[in-house]
Formats: sequence, structure tokens, C-alpha cells
Amino acid sequence: MFDCANVEMRELLPELVGGTLDVATRARVEQHVSSCAECASELETLRLVRSAYASTPTVDVRRIVGALPKVPPTASTGRGGRPLTRWIDWRVAAALTMISVGGLSLAVARRWSADVRPRDVGSVGSSVDTLVVPTPRPVDTAGSPSPSNGQRRSPIQPSRNPHVTPPKAQLAFAGGVDDLDDASIKALLGALDEMDRAPLAPSEEPDPTPVLRVIRPGAK
Amino acid sequence: MAQDHEPNDQSTDLELIARWKAGDERAASSLVARHAPALARFAASLGQRVDVDEVVQDTFVRAFGSIDSFRADSSLRTWLFTIERRLILDRRRSARRRRDDTSVDDVDAATEFDPLDEMVAEEAQARVRKAVERLSRLQREVFLLRVNEGLSYKEIAEVLGSTEGAARVHYHNAMRAVKESLYV
Repeated sequence: MFDCANVEMRELLPELVGGTLDVATRARVEQHVSSCAECASELETLRLVRSAYASTPTVDVRRIVGALPKVPPTASTGRGGRPLTRWIDWRVAAALTMISVGGLSLAVARRWSADVRPRDVGSVGSSVDTLVVPTPRPVDTAGSPSPSNGQRRSPIQPSRNPHVTPPKAQLAFAGGVDDLDDASIKALLGALDEMDRAPLAPSEEPDPTPVLRVIRPGAK
Repeated sequence: MAQDHEPNDQSTDLELIARWKAGDERAASSLVARHAPALARFAASLGQRVDVDEVVQDTFVRAFGSIDSFRADSSLRTWLFTIERRLILDRRRSARRRRDDTSVDDVDAATEFDPLDEMVAEEAQARVRKAVERLSRLQREVFLLRVNEGLSYKEIAEVLGSTEGAARVHYHNAMRAVKESLYV
């Protein structure tokens, strides 16, 4: 038994049986086989082998798929096989929370510092410091009407009393306590007590806020 | 009933692998459905008469478990054949150790298969099977990978961990032996 000397054609016989040749190559090989007894015999042998092993043992695809690992072991997962996106989400949320809390704290701190800062200590140079003390307002337990303009007035309002020096700040005091005499300190403490007793609800009536003038010693 | 894979999925193996890595379970089903029959045939042709399903499953589990080591310079099927072949050889070695049989040469391996006459209806096919079973293990692997699965010599060399030239020699020697067994 001899083998065909045309190695190229002979090597293509398995592909011819498998049906993987393109049309042109297939026609060329088939033409050769039609005139070559060795290749025709080998082609028949190949077909027999394929038919003998054509029966495929049944495999349960569903069972195989069920046995596969569920999480692909790729670089997209963090340590321990947990998805990296879960960590990223957690970190982003934590960062946003920190930024929010930090921003809120900063805003509160700025507002507090603005409230306690004597903004109108521009009158520091003046010889008369003005202390505005609101008088106690009657508390309307039956339900005091809300301001007509719908805006809530501050418990301490700028005085509209013509006798009152209109300060820009309700309570402004420049200078040290050491500069005051006993009477002035008592008056100041009394004014502070009055402020503590002041009602929170605003009044529509003109504010008869008395003004306590603190005269510095030696000032005119 | 809804199918859990796409039988006509035209995606390439690499595309399906990428989809599976992204969490698409159906891509895994498509890959298994696409390659399981060939793996089962190959396992049976290597003499795996029982537990073919289990061998194929173990092959896929091992392959998907180390899918990152798969390189696209060879086809997925070739890579799967390589894994399956190693699994089968490991099983045989384990079986031999259990039997205290230390003969491991190819000729012995070629004679350890049971006759398949009862499984083959036609006489010609039975003769072919016998002829193939008389081949050495290496010849049989090369021959069936070439004829049944259409692998190139280069791909066969990858599966066997051999060279392309060696695969070519094994194939032609196997072909000559089968023809002599059938026609002489």
C-alpha cells in the first residue's frame, strides 16, 4: 500500500472530510481525489473513522454549567473574591459623608463666629457705647398673631424709638470691664437679665426698647 | 421553557469568555454547549468509557477556574482538549496505582480498552474502531484529534505538549497502521 506523493493534497483530506475547506480548495482537492486511487482510499478510511466515532456521549450541559465557579476569578474582584465595585461604592459614600459633615461644620463655625463678632465695633472710637436692651414683651398665650408680612422678627430688633440711638448692633460694648465703675457694671448685668427674660415671639408694636447709655469715665 | 444558553450564539469564544467574566451566566452555557460534545467525543475516543460526563464537567470546571491563564494565541477548544487529556491521564495513573499496575508505556495503554463491537452496529465501523484501538495512545490521540476534531498539527502539538513535526509523523504512522489493519 502506497501513499500519494502529492503531500499538499493528502494533508488536506482531513479538512475535506471535516468540511472546513473553502470552495476553491475543496474543488481542487476533490478533483485530485477523483484521479488518485491512494487518496480516494485514504479519504474513505477517514470517513469510516469519523462515522465510527460520530456518536457523541451525552453530556448534561445544565449540570456542567451549574458546577462552574459562579464568580469569575478575574482582576475585577478584590481580595477574597468580593466585587471591587462594592468597595468603591462604600468608599465614595464615606467620602461624600465626610465632605458633607465637614462643610456643615465649617458653615456652622463661620456663622457662630459671625454672631459673636462685634460687627459694629466701629463705634469703638466713640466715647459712648450703646447698649440696647429690649423690654419684656407680653407673652400671648392665646396665640399671638404672626407678623403681617410673614417674616419672623428677631427677638432683638433695632429700636424704632426716636429716643433711642439707632445702633447697628443690639448689644455692643467696646472696652474692658475694668473701665466701668460699679454702677455701670450693675446696670449692664441688669440689662443682661432683662434680655434673658425677653420673649422669643416678636411683637407688631413699636419696640419701646430703652437704651442704656454707658458713659465711660472721663468721656464727655 | 426558556433556554439557559443561546444555541445559535455567533459570538466568538473570546467574546463569550469576556461576557462570562462580566457576570453573564448564559455565556458560560453557550461555551459549554459549544465545546462539550467535542470534549465528550475526545474523552470517549481516548477510552473513557464511563464517567465521560464527569470528565467533561471536570474539564470545564478546571478551565473556568483558571480562565485567566488562557491565552488567545491558541483556540479555546485546543486548550480544553489539553486540560481534558491531562485529566484523563491523571485518572488512569490513579487507577493504575490502585491496581498496583506500574506498566505505563503507550503500547499497554493501547490495549487496555474494551471492545466496542457491541456499541457499534455496522461491521465496518467496528473494524475501524478496532484498528484505531490498536494504535499507541499517542498515535490514537493525534489521529483522532486530526480526523474527528479537525485540529491542525500545530494545535495537536499544543494539546500533547509536543512538536508540530512529531504530530505530523504520528498522524501518518497512525493512518498507515489503520489502513493496513483494514485493507491488508
